[in-house]
Amino acid sequence: MVEVFAVASGKGGTGKTTSTVALGMALAERYDVTVVDADTGMANLLFHAGLSDAETTLHDVLAESAAVEAATYDRFGMTVVPCGTSLDGFRDADPARLREVVATLAADTDVILLDSPPALDSRAAVLPVVMADRAVVVLQPTIPAISDGLKVQEYATSYGTDVAGILFNKVREDGIERVAEKTERYFDGPTLGAVPESERAREARRAGRPLLAHAPGCDAAAAYRRAADSLTVRDGASGDVADRFRSAVIPEPP
Amino acid sequence: MRLPQGRLRKSRVVTDPREPLAEVLDRTVTGYAVFEAQDSLLLDADGRGVVTFEDGVPVVAYHTGTDRGGPPALADLAVPGPYHVSVFELDAADLDPVHEVEALRVPPGMPAERLAGDPALADSTRRAAPGERPTVPGADGEGDHSAVEAFLEDEDKIAAIREQARQEARQRAAEWGLNDT
Repeated sequence: MVEVFAVASGKGGTGKTTSTVALGMALAERYDVTVVDADTGMANLLFHAGLSDAETTLHDVLAESAAVEAATYDRFGMTVVPCGTSLDGFRDADPARLREVVATLAADTDVILLDSPPALDSRAAVLPVVMADRAVVVLQPTIPAISDGLKVQEYATSYGTDVAGILFNKVREDGIERVAEKTERYFDGPTLGAVPESERAREARRAGRPLLAHAPGCDAAAAYRRAADSLTVRDGASGDVADRFRSAVIPEPP
Repeated sequence: MRLPQGRLRKSRVVTDPREPLAEVLDRTVTGYAVFEAQDSLLLDADGRGVVTFEDGVPVVAYHTGTDRGGPPALADLAVPGPYHVSVFELDAADLDPVHEVEALRVPPGMPAERLAGDPALADSTRRAAPGERPTVPGADGEGDHSAVEAFLEDEDKIAAIREQARQEARQRAAEWGLNDT
């Protein structure tokens, strides 16, 4: 079985990478999880997973200078595929090859989480949302974040990707329940959780460790675990997913 | 809400309401900013949103199209698109009559936090707020979600945002050759 989720937000700064890694670690208690930094232009998953010195990354795979296996690392109970941060690496990488990468990974894991770019303005940016089975939309309780989240949903559903749910992050005040209830009416998936803003999350990022490894007992970590628990992973056949990714029509690079 | 005509200080089109809010705070402007949506395709684009400032800190908000004041006015002026923003300076004494209308007031950090989605700018704004105004999130409605809730209650506007995104997604799918995925 395998299901591919895009962890997406239309806007930067929502804590999407922290959320991807936290959901990944929490899901890894039940599933074999692979997280992929699909934000190839502004990669930062490597800094969250203690992989800032990783020699081979997704950039090398997308540039066809390394095999997928060489860019996978076992960290914190998950398989992590980091992306590099150099401009040269980005220039040489062909994002359309992500399809093949995901197809390869799908053969040997239960859950793939794609940390997606916080934008919808290019083919490369929407590709993870296009390829995923479902999207987890990360929101902050602000008007622009919710507006942009709605746009992500419309893009996702236009491309045949369902919405698994919404996740409020960096929540600073009480009363999120009412906002979540009103927001949920417009989304195709439920509210998976509301994660409080956390100094522990900032510390974890500085320490290069996932929040759930750095401060597993904190409120934010608990909220991520509850969110992961409310996510029911669908039982897609690995071979089907791999075939679907391989056969997906991906546009030529611009 | 009636305000005397101020001295025009700046007028331009911005894509994000954060820019004028940050600039007004930076320059400690006393006066008001008029936000006008540029995208008339969206509902509620009629009318203008007005936010007043004292030393760069927001005090009241009002929307001429919906005739609503306070946090709901922030929701009314929120659109996912470019705004034409004009910033006017006005003496504090000329703003006093409007600033005394409790129903129009917004907490200092709310426009930056909820309309612009910038918590750091909201924190800076709260720090710049005078002592008598609430600066701690949660105090006197400062941290509340009322502007966001008012936005979410505007079903027509949200339907318009979704429809616009759907059209954009379809159009781009065609441009990007994503139709068959």
